[in-house]
Amino acid sequence: MALKFKGKTWIFGDNLDVDNEIVSFAKLHYGVFTHDQLGEHCMENVDPEFHKKVKKGDIMVAGTNFRCGHDHPHAPQSIQQCGISVVVAESFDENYIKNSVAIGLPLIELPGIKKKVKEGDVVEADLHAGIIENVTTGESIKFKPFPDFLLDMLEAGSLEAYGDKLIAEGKG
Amino acid sequence: MLKKSWPKQPDNQKYPPGDYVQVRNTSRSVFMTSDLGVNMPAAFKKRGWDKIWDPQKALVAPEHAGAWWRPIDKVSQRESHRQNAEWARQMGVPEENILDLGRIGIDHHMSVEGAWVTPGSFYLCGDNHTISVGGVGAFGFAPSASNNFIMRFGWTWLRVPGSVKFIIKGKLKKGVMGRDVLEYILKEYGPTVALNKVAEYAGPIIDQMSIDSRCTMCCLSVFIGAKTGIVNPDKKVLDWYKARTDYPFEPLASDPDAQYAAIYEIDGAKIEPMVVVPPHRSTVKNIAEVEGTPITNAFIGSCASGRDEGLAVAAKIMKGRKVNSKVVFNITPGSSASMTRATESGVLETLLKAGAFVCAPGCGMCPGFYTPLAENEVCIGSSTTNVPGRMGAESAKVYLGSPATVAASAIEGKITDPRKYLQEE
Ligand code: SF4
Repeated sequence: MALKFKGKTWIFGDNLDVDNEIVSFAKLHYGVFTHDQLGEHCMENVDPEFHKKVKKGDIMVAGTNFRCGHDHPHAPQSIQQCGISVVVAESFDENYIKNSVAIGLPLIELPGIKKKVKEGDVVEADLHAGIIENVTTGESIKFKPFPDFLLDMLEAGSLEAYGDKLIAEGKG
Repeated sequence: MLKKSWPKQPDNQKYPPGDYVQVRNTSRSVFMTSDLGVNMPAAFKKRGWDKIWDPQKALVAPEHAGAWWRPIDKVSQRESHRQNAEWARQMGVPEENILDLGRIGIDHHMSVEGAWVTPGSFYLCGDNHTISVGGVGAFGFAPSASNNFIMRFGWTWLRVPGSVKFIIKGKLKKGVMGRDVLEYILKEYGPTVALNKVAEYAGPIIDQMSIDSRCTMCCLSVFIGAKTGIVNPDKKVLDWYKARTDYPFEPLASDPDAQYAAIYEIDGAKIEPMVVVPPHRSTVKNIAEVEGTPITNAFIGSCASGRDEGLAVAAKIMKGRKVNSKVVFNITPGSSASMTRATESGVLETLLKAGAFVCAPGCGMCPGFYTPLAENEVCIGSSTTNVPGRMGAESAKVYLGSPATVAASAIEGKITDPRKYLQEE
Protein backbone atom coordinates (compact mmCIF):
# COMPACT_ATOMS: atom_id res chain seq x y z
CA MET A 1 0.00 0.00 0.00
CA ALA A 2 1.03 3.53 -0.59
CA LEU A 3 1.18 6.29 2.03
CA LYS A 4 4.81 5.64 2.86
CA PHE A 5 7.19 8.56 2.84
CA LYS A 6 10.87 9.19 3.37
CA GLY A 7 12.48 12.58 3.49
CA LYS A 8 14.50 15.21 5.22
CA THR A 9 12.78 17.16 7.98
CA TRP A 10 12.15 20.86 8.42
CA ILE A 11 11.18 21.93 11.91
CA PHE A 12 8.72 24.72 12.78
CA GLY A 13 7.15 26.13 15.94
CA ASP A 14 3.75 26.22 17.64
CA ASN A 15 0.53 28.07 16.78
CA LEU A 16 1.44 28.84 13.17
CA ASP A 17 -1.33 31.00 11.78
CA VAL A 18 -2.74 29.90 8.47
CA ASP A 19 -2.90 33.46 7.16
CA ASN A 20 0.38 34.77 8.46
CA GLU A 21 3.14 32.25 9.08
CA ILE A 22 2.09 29.48 6.70
CA VAL A 23 1.26 31.65 3.74
CA SER A 24 0.06 35.24 3.58
CA PHE A 25 -3.68 35.45 3.14
CA ALA A 26 -3.35 39.10 2.25
CA LYS A 27 -0.97 38.56 -0.63
CA LEU A 28 -3.19 35.89 -2.16
CA HIS A 29 -6.37 37.81 -1.55
CA TYR A 30 -5.05 41.01 -3.07
CA GLY A 31 -3.51 39.30 -6.04
CA VAL A 32 0.19 39.75 -5.16
CA PHE A 33 0.48 36.10 -6.13
CA THR A 34 -1.94 33.52 -7.49
CA HIS A 35 -3.03 30.10 -6.31
CA ASP A 36 -0.44 28.53 -8.61
CA GLN A 37 2.32 30.40 -6.80
CA LEU A 38 1.35 29.46 -3.26
CA GLY A 39 4.30 27.09 -2.95
CA GLU A 40 6.81 29.86 -3.62
CA HIS A 41 5.50 31.78 -0.61
CA CYS A 42 5.15 28.90 1.83
CA MET A 43 6.46 29.87 5.29
CA GLU A 44 8.07 33.01 3.93
CA ASN A 45 7.14 35.04 7.00
CA VAL A 46 9.06 32.53 9.14
CA ASP A 47 11.91 31.70 6.75
CA PRO A 48 11.99 33.65 3.48
CA GLU A 49 14.35 31.08 1.91
CA PHE A 50 12.31 28.02 2.85
CA HIS A 51 10.67 27.47 -0.51
CA LYS A 52 14.10 27.48 -2.19
CA LYS A 53 15.69 25.08 0.26
CA VAL A 54 12.90 22.52 0.50
CA LYS A 55 13.11 19.51 -1.81
CA LYS A 56 10.30 17.43 -3.19
CA GLY A 57 9.42 14.71 -0.71
CA ASP A 58 10.76 16.52 2.36
CA ILE A 59 8.83 16.30 5.59
CA MET A 60 7.56 19.17 7.70
CA VAL A 61 7.57 18.77 11.48
CA ALA A 62 5.75 21.33 13.61
CA GLY A 63 4.56 21.95 17.14
CA THR A 64 1.13 22.28 18.67
CA ASN A 65 -2.00 23.78 17.12
CA PHE A 66 -0.63 23.58 13.62
CA ARG A 67 -2.55 26.02 11.45
CA CYS A 68 -4.47 28.14 13.89
CA GLY A 69 -6.86 30.92 12.97
CA HIS A 70 -9.05 30.71 9.91
CA ASP A 71 -9.71 27.56 7.95
CA HIS A 72 -8.49 28.80 4.60
CA PRO A 73 -7.50 25.84 2.45
CA HIS A 74 -4.58 27.65 0.87
CA ALA A 75 -2.34 26.59 3.79
CA PRO A 76 -2.13 22.89 2.87
CA GLN A 77 -2.16 23.84 -0.81
CA SER A 78 0.92 25.94 -0.27
CA ILE A 79 2.66 23.20 1.68
CA GLN A 80 1.78 20.62 -0.97
CA GLN A 81 2.92 22.85 -3.81
CA CYS A 82 6.31 23.49 -2.27
CA GLY A 83 6.98 19.76 -2.31
CA ILE A 84 6.34 18.62 1.27
CA SER A 85 5.13 15.01 1.26
CA VAL A 86 3.70 14.81 4.77
CA VAL A 87 3.29 17.13 7.76
CA VAL A 88 3.94 15.73 11.23
CA ALA A 89 2.83 17.89 14.15
CA GLU A 90 2.37 17.67 17.89
CA SER A 91 -1.26 18.62 17.32
CA PHE A 92 -3.41 19.94 14.51
CA ASP A 93 -6.34 22.22 14.38
CA GLU A 94 -8.98 19.97 12.91
CA ASN A 95 -9.88 22.32 10.08
CA TYR A 96 -6.37 21.86 8.85
CA ILE A 97 -6.80 18.10 8.92
CA LYS A 98 -9.96 18.43 6.83
CA ASN A 99 -8.41 20.74 4.29
CA SER A 100 -5.30 18.66 4.06
CA VAL A 101 -7.19 15.40 3.55
CA ALA A 102 -9.43 17.12 1.00
CA ILE A 103 -6.45 17.82 -1.24
CA GLY A 104 -4.64 14.57 -0.48
CA LEU A 105 -1.76 15.98 1.58
CA PRO A 106 -0.97 13.38 4.24
CA LEU A 107 -0.47 14.33 7.87
CA ILE A 108 0.43 12.66 11.13
CA GLU A 109 -0.45 13.84 14.59
CA LEU A 110 2.15 12.74 17.08
CA PRO A 111 2.57 14.46 20.46
CA GLY A 112 6.25 14.52 21.43
CA ILE A 113 7.60 14.38 17.87
CA LYS A 114 9.66 17.53 18.24
CA LYS A 115 11.73 15.94 20.98
CA LYS A 116 12.58 13.02 18.73
CA VAL A 117 13.55 14.76 15.54
CA LYS A 118 16.11 17.46 14.77
CA GLU A 119 16.05 19.57 11.65
CA GLY A 120 17.71 17.73 8.82
CA ASP A 121 17.11 14.24 10.23
CA VAL A 122 15.80 11.82 7.66
CA VAL A 123 12.57 10.15 8.69
CA GLU A 124 10.44 7.44 7.20
CA ALA A 125 6.71 7.41 7.83
CA ASP A 126 4.12 4.72 7.20
CA LEU A 127 0.56 5.97 7.68
CA HIS A 128 -1.03 2.53 7.51
CA ALA A 129 1.33 0.89 9.97
CA GLY A 130 1.38 3.94 12.26
CA ILE A 131 5.16 4.06 12.48
CA ILE A 132 7.66 6.85 12.03
CA GLU A 133 11.30 5.90 11.95
CA ASN A 134 13.98 8.49 12.47
CA VAL A 135 16.51 7.01 10.06
CA THR A 136 19.23 9.35 11.32
CA THR A 137 18.96 8.24 14.95
CA GLY A 138 17.52 4.79 14.37
CA GLU A 139 14.60 5.39 16.72
CA SER A 140 11.13 4.31 15.74
CA ILE A 141 7.99 5.89 17.10
CA LYS A 142 4.46 4.55 16.97
CA PHE A 143 1.29 6.52 16.38
CA LYS A 144 -2.38 5.66 16.04
CA PRO A 145 -3.18 5.39 12.33
CA PHE A 146 -6.16 7.19 10.86
CA PRO A 147 -9.29 5.06 10.37
CA ASP A 148 -9.55 3.30 7.03
CA PHE A 149 -11.96 5.76 5.43
CA LEU A 150 -9.53 8.63 5.98
CA LEU A 151 -6.62 6.61 4.66
CA ASP A 152 -8.81 5.76 1.65
CA MET A 153 -9.45 9.47 1.09
CA LEU A 154 -5.73 10.23 1.25
CA GLU A 155 -4.94 7.34 -1.05
CA ALA A 156 -7.52 8.47 -3.58
CA GLY A 157 -5.49 11.68 -3.83
CA SER A 158 -8.35 14.00 -2.96
CA LEU A 159 -11.73 13.97 -1.28
CA GLU A 160 -13.45 14.41 -4.62
CA ALA A 161 -11.57 11.51 -6.19
CA TYR A 162 -12.70 9.48 -3.19
CA GLY A 163 -16.25 10.60 -4.03
CA ASP A 164 -15.81 9.16 -7.54
CA LYS A 165 -14.81 5.90 -5.93
CA LEU A 166 -17.93 5.88 -3.74
CA ILE A 167 -20.11 6.43 -6.80
CA ALA A 168 -18.32 3.64 -8.68
CA GLU A 169 -18.98 1.33 -5.72
CA GLY A 170 -22.67 2.29 -5.72
CA LYS A 171 -22.35 4.16 -2.40
CA GLY A 172 -23.30 7.58 -3.73
CA MET B 1 -24.22 17.91 23.77
CA LEU B 2 -22.34 16.76 20.74
CA LYS B 3 -23.21 13.13 21.19
CA LYS B 4 -26.85 14.07 20.97
CA SER B 5 -26.78 16.88 18.51
CA TRP B 6 -24.84 15.27 15.80
CA PRO B 7 -26.74 13.01 13.44
CA LYS B 8 -27.76 9.82 15.03
CA GLN B 9 -25.21 7.15 14.41
CA PRO B 10 -26.74 3.90 13.18
CA ASP B 11 -25.93 1.94 16.32
CA ASN B 12 -26.17 4.81 18.78
CA GLN B 13 -22.75 3.75 19.88
CA LYS B 14 -20.72 5.83 22.31
CA TYR B 15 -17.66 7.28 20.69
CA PRO B 16 -14.71 8.23 22.83
CA PRO B 17 -13.04 11.56 22.10
CA GLY B 18 -10.38 11.14 19.44
CA ASP B 19 -12.34 8.61 17.36
CA TYR B 20 -13.22 9.59 13.82
CA VAL B 21 -16.87 9.37 12.83
CA GLN B 22 -18.84 10.08 9.70
CA VAL B 23 -21.56 12.65 10.33
CA ARG B 24 -24.55 14.02 8.45
CA ASN B 25 -26.14 17.44 8.45
CA THR B 26 -29.33 17.42 10.55
CA SER B 27 -30.23 21.07 10.33
CA ARG B 28 -32.91 22.67 8.22
CA SER B 29 -30.34 23.63 5.62
CA VAL B 30 -26.81 23.05 4.46
CA PHE B 31 -25.16 26.05 3.01
CA MET B 32 -23.65 26.28 -0.41
CA THR B 33 -21.23 29.17 -0.51
CA SER B 34 -21.51 30.86 -3.82
CA ASP B 35 -18.77 33.39 -3.99
CA LEU B 36 -15.08 34.12 -3.59
CA GLY B 37 -14.01 31.86 -6.39
CA VAL B 38 -15.84 28.79 -5.09
CA ASN B 39 -17.25 27.26 -8.23
CA MET B 40 -19.38 24.31 -7.30
CA PRO B 41 -21.10 23.83 -10.67
CA ALA B 42 -17.71 23.60 -12.40
CA ALA B 43 -16.41 21.14 -9.80
CA PHE B 44 -19.48 18.93 -10.27
CA LYS B 45 -19.17 19.11 -14.03
CA LYS B 46 -15.51 18.22 -13.94
CA ARG B 47 -16.23 15.06 -11.97
CA GLY B 48 -19.38 14.17 -13.87
CA TRP B 49 -21.49 14.43 -10.69
CA ASP B 50 -25.06 14.98 -11.84
CA LYS B 51 -27.06 15.34 -8.64
CA ILE B 52 -26.87 16.84 -5.18
CA TRP B 53 -27.56 15.18 -1.90
CA ASP B 54 -30.79 16.88 -0.80
CA PRO B 55 -32.07 19.77 -2.94
CA GLN B 56 -34.59 20.76 -0.26
CA LYS B 57 -31.78 21.50 2.17
CA ALA B 58 -29.40 23.34 -0.12
CA LEU B 59 -29.18 27.07 0.47
CA VAL B 60 -27.61 29.23 -2.21
CA ALA B 61 -26.61 32.88 -1.79
CA PRO B 62 -23.80 35.28 -2.72
CA GLU B 63 -23.05 35.80 0.94
CA HIS B 64 -19.40 36.70 1.59
CA ALA B 65 -18.65 39.24 -1.04
CA GLY B 66 -22.11 40.11 -2.27
CA ALA B 67 -21.66 42.66 -4.98
CA TRP B 68 -17.95 43.08 -4.42
CA TRP B 69 -15.44 42.20 -7.12
CA ARG B 70 -11.98 40.78 -6.49
CA PRO B 71 -9.40 41.21 -9.21
CA ILE B 72 -7.93 37.72 -8.86
CA ASP B 73 -11.22 35.90 -9.46
CA LYS B 74 -11.75 34.96 -13.04
CA VAL B 75 -15.46 35.72 -12.94
CA SER B 76 -17.28 38.45 -11.04
CA GLN B 77 -19.34 37.61 -7.98
CA ARG B 78 -22.50 38.41 -9.91
CA GLU B 79 -21.59 36.06 -12.70
CA SER B 80 -20.58 33.39 -10.24
CA HIS B 81 -23.85 33.69 -8.33
CA ARG B 82 -25.87 33.60 -11.52
CA GLN B 83 -24.14 30.37 -12.56
CA ASN B 84 -24.65 28.86 -9.12
CA ALA B 85 -28.30 29.82 -8.96
CA GLU B 86 -29.06 28.44 -12.41
CA TRP B 87 -27.27 25.24 -11.61
CA ALA B 88 -29.07 24.93 -8.27
CA ARG B 89 -32.41 25.26 -10.06
CA GLN B 90 -31.40 22.47 -12.42
CA MET B 91 -30.51 20.35 -9.40
CA GLY B 92 -34.02 20.84 -8.03
CA VAL B 93 -33.28 23.35 -5.26
CA PRO B 94 -36.56 25.14 -4.42
CA GLU B 95 -36.85 28.81 -5.31
CA GLU B 96 -37.15 29.93 -1.67
CA ASN B 97 -33.69 28.48 -0.96
CA ILE B 98 -32.02 30.55 -3.67
CA LEU B 99 -31.38 33.99 -2.25
CA ASP B 100 -29.87 37.09 -3.73
CA LEU B 101 -28.68 40.54 -2.74
CA GLY B 102 -31.23 42.53 -0.80
CA ARG B 103 -32.45 39.44 1.00
CA ILE B 104 -29.21 38.09 2.43
CA GLY B 105 -26.16 38.81 4.53
CA ILE B 106 -23.12 37.01 5.87
CA ASP B 107 -24.08 33.34 5.90
CA HIS B 108 -23.45 33.03 9.65
CA HIS B 109 -25.97 35.80 10.27
CA MET B 110 -28.66 34.85 7.85
CA SER B 111 -28.56 31.15 8.73
CA VAL B 112 -29.58 32.27 12.22
CA GLU B 113 -31.91 35.10 11.24
CA GLY B 114 -33.73 33.00 8.68
CA ALA B 115 -33.87 30.05 11.10
CA TRP B 116 -32.12 27.92 8.49
CA VAL B 117 -30.20 26.46 11.37
CA THR B 118 -32.15 24.47 13.93
CA PRO B 119 -31.38 24.53 17.69
CA GLY B 120 -29.91 21.21 18.75
CA SER B 121 -28.89 20.23 15.24
CA PHE B 122 -25.65 19.52 13.49
CA TYR B 123 -25.13 22.27 10.94
CA LEU B 124 -22.61 22.23 8.13
CA CYS B 125 -21.63 25.36 6.31
CA GLY B 126 -18.71 26.93 4.48
CA ASP B 127 -16.13 28.46 6.77
CA ASN B 128 -15.10 28.13 10.36
CA HIS B 129 -17.13 31.04 11.73
CA THR B 130 -20.12 28.82 11.05
CA ILE B 131 -19.71 27.99 14.70
CA SER B 132 -21.47 31.30 15.42
CA VAL B 133 -24.67 29.23 15.30
CA GLY B 134 -23.70 27.84 18.71
CA GLY B 135 -25.42 30.97 19.95
CA VAL B 136 -28.73 29.31 19.15
CA GLY B 137 -27.65 25.96 20.51
CA ALA B 138 -26.63 24.29 17.25
CA PHE B 139 -23.42 22.42 16.65
CA GLY B 140 -21.92 24.39 13.78
CA PHE B 141 -19.18 22.72 11.88
CA ALA B 142 -17.08 24.01 9.04
CA PRO B 143 -16.40 21.50 6.31
CA SER B 144 -13.91 23.93 4.79
CA ALA B 145 -12.58 22.48 1.55
CA SER B 146 -15.13 19.64 1.66
CA ASN B 147 -18.05 21.73 0.39
CA ASN B 148 -18.46 19.98 -2.94
CA PHE B 149 -18.29 16.56 -1.36
CA ILE B 150 -20.92 17.46 1.22
CA MET B 151 -23.25 18.91 -1.38
CA ARG B 152 -22.97 15.65 -3.31
CA PHE B 153 -22.95 13.07 -0.50
CA GLY B 154 -24.43 14.89 2.51
CA TRP B 155 -21.86 13.72 5.01
CA THR B 156 -18.48 14.61 6.31
CA TRP B 157 -16.38 13.39 9.19
CA LEU B 158 -15.09 14.69 12.43
CA ARG B 159 -12.86 13.63 15.23
CA VAL B 160 -15.01 13.22 18.32
CA PRO B 161 -14.12 16.22 20.44
CA GLY B 162 -13.98 16.48 24.18
CA SER B 163 -15.59 19.51 25.76
CA VAL B 164 -14.43 22.35 27.93
CA LYS B 165 -16.87 24.46 29.85
CA PHE B 166 -16.56 28.11 30.77
CA ILE B 167 -18.88 29.20 33.54
CA ILE B 168 -19.13 32.96 33.65
CA LYS B 169 -20.37 34.06 37.05
CA GLY B 170 -21.36 37.30 38.67
CA LYS B 171 -22.21 40.39 36.69
CA LEU B 172 -20.51 42.14 33.80
CA LYS B 173 -19.46 45.72 34.23
CA LYS B 174 -21.34 48.26 32.18
CA GLY B 175 -19.77 48.62 28.75
CA VAL B 176 -18.36 45.07 28.77
CA MET B 177 -19.84 42.96 25.99
CA GLY B 178 -19.88 39.26 25.00
CA ARG B 179 -16.89 39.93 22.81
CA ASP B 180 -14.84 41.07 25.81
CA VAL B 181 -15.71 37.86 27.67
CA LEU B 182 -14.34 35.74 24.86
CA GLU B 183 -11.17 37.82 24.46
CA TYR B 184 -10.68 37.64 28.23
CA ILE B 185 -10.77 33.84 27.98
CA LEU B 186 -8.18 34.01 25.20
CA LYS B 187 -5.99 36.32 27.28
CA GLU B 188 -6.21 34.24 30.44
CA TYR B 189 -6.04 30.75 29.00
CA GLY B 190 -4.39 31.09 25.59
CA PRO B 191 -5.19 30.11 22.01
CA THR B 192 -5.20 26.35 22.64
CA VAL B 193 -7.41 26.20 25.74
CA ALA B 194 -10.20 24.58 23.74
CA LEU B 195 -8.08 23.07 20.97
CA ASN B 196 -10.23 20.75 18.88
CA LYS B 197 -12.83 20.70 21.63
CA VAL B 198 -16.33 21.98 22.08
CA ALA B 199 -16.28 25.20 24.07
CA GLU B 200 -19.47 25.40 26.07
CA TYR B 201 -20.45 28.66 27.71
CA ALA B 202 -22.74 28.72 30.73
CA GLY B 203 -23.48 30.52 33.95
CA PRO B 204 -25.57 33.50 34.98
CA ILE B 205 -23.91 35.95 32.63
CA ILE B 206 -24.50 33.71 29.63
CA ASP B 207 -28.09 33.11 30.72
CA GLN B 208 -28.73 36.83 30.63
CA MET B 209 -26.74 37.43 27.49
CA SER B 210 -28.50 38.30 24.24
CA ILE B 211 -28.55 35.77 21.39
CA ASP B 212 -26.39 38.23 19.43
CA SER B 213 -23.63 38.23 22.04
CA ARG B 214 -23.80 34.47 22.39
CA CYS B 215 -23.32 34.20 18.63
CA THR B 216 -20.32 36.54 18.88
CA MET B 217 -18.69 34.45 21.57
CA CYS B 218 -19.26 31.26 19.60
CA CYS B 219 -18.04 32.90 16.40
CA LEU B 220 -14.75 33.90 18.01
CA SER B 221 -14.24 30.52 19.68
CA VAL B 222 -12.11 29.72 16.63
CA PHE B 223 -9.38 31.76 18.29
CA ILE B 224 -9.26 29.64 21.42
CA GLY B 225 -8.85 26.63 19.14
CA ALA B 226 -12.40 25.33 19.58
CA LYS B 227 -13.96 23.03 17.08
CA THR B 228 -17.21 24.69 17.91
CA GLY B 229 -18.64 27.03 20.52
CA ILE B 230 -22.04 26.40 22.00
CA VAL B 231 -24.57 27.66 24.52
CA ASN B 232 -27.37 25.32 25.55
CA PRO B 233 -30.58 26.51 23.91
CA ASP B 234 -32.84 28.10 26.54
CA LYS B 235 -36.34 29.53 26.42
CA LYS B 236 -35.10 32.68 24.76
CA VAL B 237 -33.71 30.65 21.87
CA LEU B 238 -36.67 28.34 21.55
CA ASP B 239 -39.14 31.23 21.46
CA TRP B 240 -36.98 32.99 18.92
CA TYR B 241 -36.90 29.92 16.72
CA LYS B 242 -40.59 29.10 16.97
CA ALA B 243 -41.45 32.64 15.97
CA ARG B 244 -39.63 32.10 12.69
CA THR B 245 -40.42 28.66 11.37
CA ASP B 246 -42.51 25.54 11.86
CA TYR B 247 -39.65 23.32 10.80
CA PRO B 248 -39.52 20.50 13.37
CA PHE B 249 -36.59 20.26 15.73
CA GLU B 250 -35.41 18.63 18.88
CA PRO B 251 -33.83 21.19 21.23
CA LEU B 252 -30.98 19.09 22.55
CA ALA B 253 -28.65 20.27 25.27
CA SER B 254 -25.57 18.94 27.01
CA ASP B 255 -26.08 16.08 29.45
CA PRO B 256 -26.26 17.19 33.07
CA ASP B 257 -23.59 14.58 33.78
CA ALA B 258 -21.46 15.38 30.72
CA GLN B 259 -17.74 14.85 31.14
CA TYR B 260 -15.57 17.88 30.57
CA ALA B 261 -11.86 17.89 29.91
CA ALA B 262 -11.77 21.04 32.01
CA ILE B 263 -14.17 23.49 33.63
CA TYR B 264 -13.14 27.11 34.05
CA GLU B 265 -15.01 29.39 36.39
CA ILE B 266 -14.67 33.04 35.58
CA ASP B 267 -15.68 36.01 37.66
CA GLY B 268 -17.44 38.29 35.20
CA ALA B 269 -16.81 41.35 37.35
CA LYS B 270 -13.08 41.04 36.60
CA ILE B 271 -13.55 41.46 32.86
CA GLU B 272 -12.60 44.84 31.42
CA PRO B 273 -13.12 45.93 27.82
CA MET B 274 -10.46 43.93 25.96
CA VAL B 275 -8.41 44.85 22.92
CA VAL B 276 -6.57 42.49 20.56
CA VAL B 277 -3.25 44.06 19.62
CA PRO B 278 -1.51 43.59 16.25
CA PRO B 279 0.08 41.71 14.64
CA HIS B 280 -0.95 38.48 16.41
CA ARG B 281 -4.53 37.42 16.89
CA SER B 282 -3.79 36.04 20.33
CA THR B 283 -2.24 39.12 21.95
CA VAL B 284 -5.01 40.52 24.12
CA LYS B 285 -4.73 43.42 26.55
CA ASN B 286 -6.96 45.26 28.97
CA ILE B 287 -8.06 48.47 27.34
CA ALA B 288 -6.13 50.54 29.90
CA GLU B 289 -2.87 49.27 28.36
CA VAL B 290 -3.62 50.61 24.88
CA GLU B 291 -5.89 53.56 25.56
CA GLY B 292 -4.86 56.65 23.67
CA THR B 293 -3.39 54.83 20.65
CA PRO B 294 -4.28 57.08 17.68
CA ILE B 295 -6.46 55.53 14.98
CA THR B 296 -7.36 56.47 11.43
CA ASN B 297 -10.16 53.97 10.85
CA ALA B 298 -12.86 52.24 12.80
CA PHE B 299 -15.07 49.38 11.72
CA ILE B 300 -18.18 47.74 13.11
CA GLY B 301 -19.34 44.71 11.23
CA SER B 302 -18.43 41.11 10.27
CA CYS B 303 -19.77 37.83 11.60
CA ALA B 304 -18.30 38.71 15.00
CA SER B 305 -20.57 41.71 15.32
CA GLY B 306 -22.68 43.55 12.74
CA ARG B 307 -25.78 42.18 14.43
CA ASP B 308 -28.55 44.33 15.89
CA GLU B 309 -26.89 44.61 19.28
CA GLY B 310 -23.55 45.85 17.92
CA LEU B 311 -25.24 48.47 15.77
CA ALA B 312 -27.50 49.55 18.62
CA VAL B 313 -24.69 50.02 21.13
CA ALA B 314 -22.79 52.06 18.55
CA ALA B 315 -25.85 54.27 18.05
CA LYS B 316 -26.26 54.72 21.78
CA ILE B 317 -22.68 55.96 22.04
CA MET B 318 -22.76 58.06 18.87
CA LYS B 319 -26.09 59.75 19.55
CA GLY B 320 -25.62 63.49 19.32
CA ARG B 321 -21.87 63.05 18.77
CA LYS B 322 -19.63 63.06 15.71
CA VAL B 323 -17.06 60.73 14.23
CA ASN B 324 -13.63 62.28 14.76
CA SER B 325 -12.54 64.35 11.77
CA LYS B 326 -9.42 62.19 11.32
CA VAL B 327 -11.32 58.90 11.30
CA VAL B 328 -13.25 56.97 8.67
CA PHE B 329 -15.85 54.93 10.53
CA ASN B 330 -17.13 52.08 8.38
CA ILE B 331 -20.30 50.44 9.66
CA THR B 332 -21.49 47.40 7.75
CA PRO B 333 -24.64 45.65 8.96
CA GLY B 334 -24.23 41.89 8.70
CA SER B 335 -27.41 41.33 6.75
CA SER B 336 -30.20 43.09 4.91
CA ALA B 337 -32.59 42.07 7.69
CA SER B 338 -30.37 43.61 10.33
CA MET B 339 -30.05 46.79 8.29
CA THR B 340 -33.82 46.96 7.90
CA ARG B 341 -34.34 46.69 11.65
CA ALA B 342 -31.66 49.30 12.25
CA THR B 343 -33.52 51.59 9.87
CA GLU B 344 -36.84 51.05 11.60
CA SER B 345 -35.39 51.65 15.05
CA GLY B 346 -33.59 54.86 14.09
CA VAL B 347 -30.18 53.33 14.76
CA LEU B 348 -28.98 53.95 11.22
CA GLU B 349 -30.17 57.54 11.24
CA THR B 350 -28.12 58.20 14.38
CA LEU B 351 -25.03 56.59 12.90
CA LEU B 352 -25.35 58.43 9.59
CA LYS B 353 -25.90 61.77 11.31
CA ALA B 354 -22.76 61.13 13.36
CA GLY B 355 -20.81 60.81 10.14
CA ALA B 356 -20.34 57.05 9.88
CA PHE B 357 -19.90 55.53 6.44
CA VAL B 358 -22.59 52.87 6.23
CA CYS B 359 -21.92 50.14 3.66
CA ALA B 360 -24.03 47.52 1.95
CA PRO B 361 -24.68 44.47 4.17
CA GLY B 362 -22.14 41.65 4.18
CA CYS B 363 -18.63 40.95 5.45
CA GLY B 364 -17.66 44.54 4.76
CA MET B 365 -14.24 45.61 5.83
CA CYS B 366 -13.37 42.37 7.67
CA PRO B 367 -11.61 40.92 4.62
CA GLY B 368 -10.98 44.35 3.09
CA PHE B 369 -14.18 44.67 1.02
CA TYR B 370 -15.01 48.39 0.92
CA THR B 371 -12.73 51.03 2.51
CA PRO B 372 -9.69 48.72 2.62
CA LEU B 373 -6.90 50.11 4.80
CA ALA B 374 -4.22 52.16 3.09
CA GLU B 375 -0.50 51.93 3.92
CA ASN B 376 0.24 52.50 7.62
CA GLU B 377 -3.33 53.25 8.61
CA VAL B 378 -4.42 52.16 12.08
CA CYS B 379 -7.85 50.64 12.56
CA ILE B 380 -9.88 49.40 15.45
CA GLY B 381 -12.49 46.91 14.35
CA SER B 382 -15.06 44.65 15.93
CA SER B 383 -14.34 42.04 13.25
CA THR B 384 -12.81 38.61 13.61
CA THR B 385 -9.09 38.80 12.96
CA ASN B 386 -6.18 41.17 12.58
CA VAL B 387 -3.51 39.22 10.68
CA PRO B 388 -1.39 41.65 8.66
CA GLY B 389 -3.06 42.62 5.41
CA ARG B 390 -6.39 41.19 6.41
CA MET B 391 -8.18 44.51 5.93
CA GLY B 392 -5.98 46.03 3.25
CA ALA B 393 -2.34 47.12 3.25
CA GLU B 394 0.03 44.80 5.07
CA SER B 395 1.65 47.78 6.77
CA ALA B 396 -1.67 48.80 8.32
CA LYS B 397 -2.29 47.88 11.95
CA VAL B 398 -5.54 46.39 13.16
CA TYR B 399 -6.71 46.41 16.78
CA LEU B 400 -9.90 44.56 17.69
CA GLY B 401 -12.46 45.37 20.34
CA SER B 402 -16.18 45.32 21.09
CA PRO B 403 -18.56 47.50 19.05
CA ALA B 404 -18.79 49.79 22.10
CA THR B 405 -15.01 50.21 22.22
CA VAL B 406 -14.89 50.83 18.47
CA ALA B 407 -17.62 53.50 18.60
CA ALA B 408 -16.02 55.33 21.52
CA SER B 409 -12.66 55.23 19.73
CA ALA B 410 -14.21 56.59 16.53
CA ILE B 411 -15.41 59.65 18.44
CA GLU B 412 -12.05 60.40 20.01
CA GLY B 413 -9.74 59.35 17.18
CA LYS B 414 -7.83 57.12 19.57
CA ILE B 415 -8.49 53.87 21.38
CA THR B 416 -10.98 54.77 24.09
CA ASP B 417 -12.62 52.99 26.98
CA PRO B 418 -16.34 52.97 26.08
CA ARG B 419 -17.51 53.15 29.66
CA LYS B 420 -17.24 56.89 29.86
CA TYR B 421 -19.91 57.11 27.15
CA LEU B 422 -22.23 54.64 28.84
CA GLN B 423 -22.42 56.11 32.31
CA GLU B 424 -25.43 58.30 31.95
CA GLU B 425 -28.13 55.59 31.94
S1 SF4 C 1 -17.17 38.60 8.26
FE1 SF4 C 1 -15.03 38.13 7.99
S2 SF4 C 1 -14.60 36.30 9.18
FE2 SF4 C 1 -16.82 36.53 8.98
S3 SF4 C 1 -17.38 35.28 7.24
FE3 SF4 C 1 -17.03 37.35 6.47
S4 SF4 C 1 -14.88 37.42 5.86
FE4 SF4 C 1 -15.16 35.62 7.13
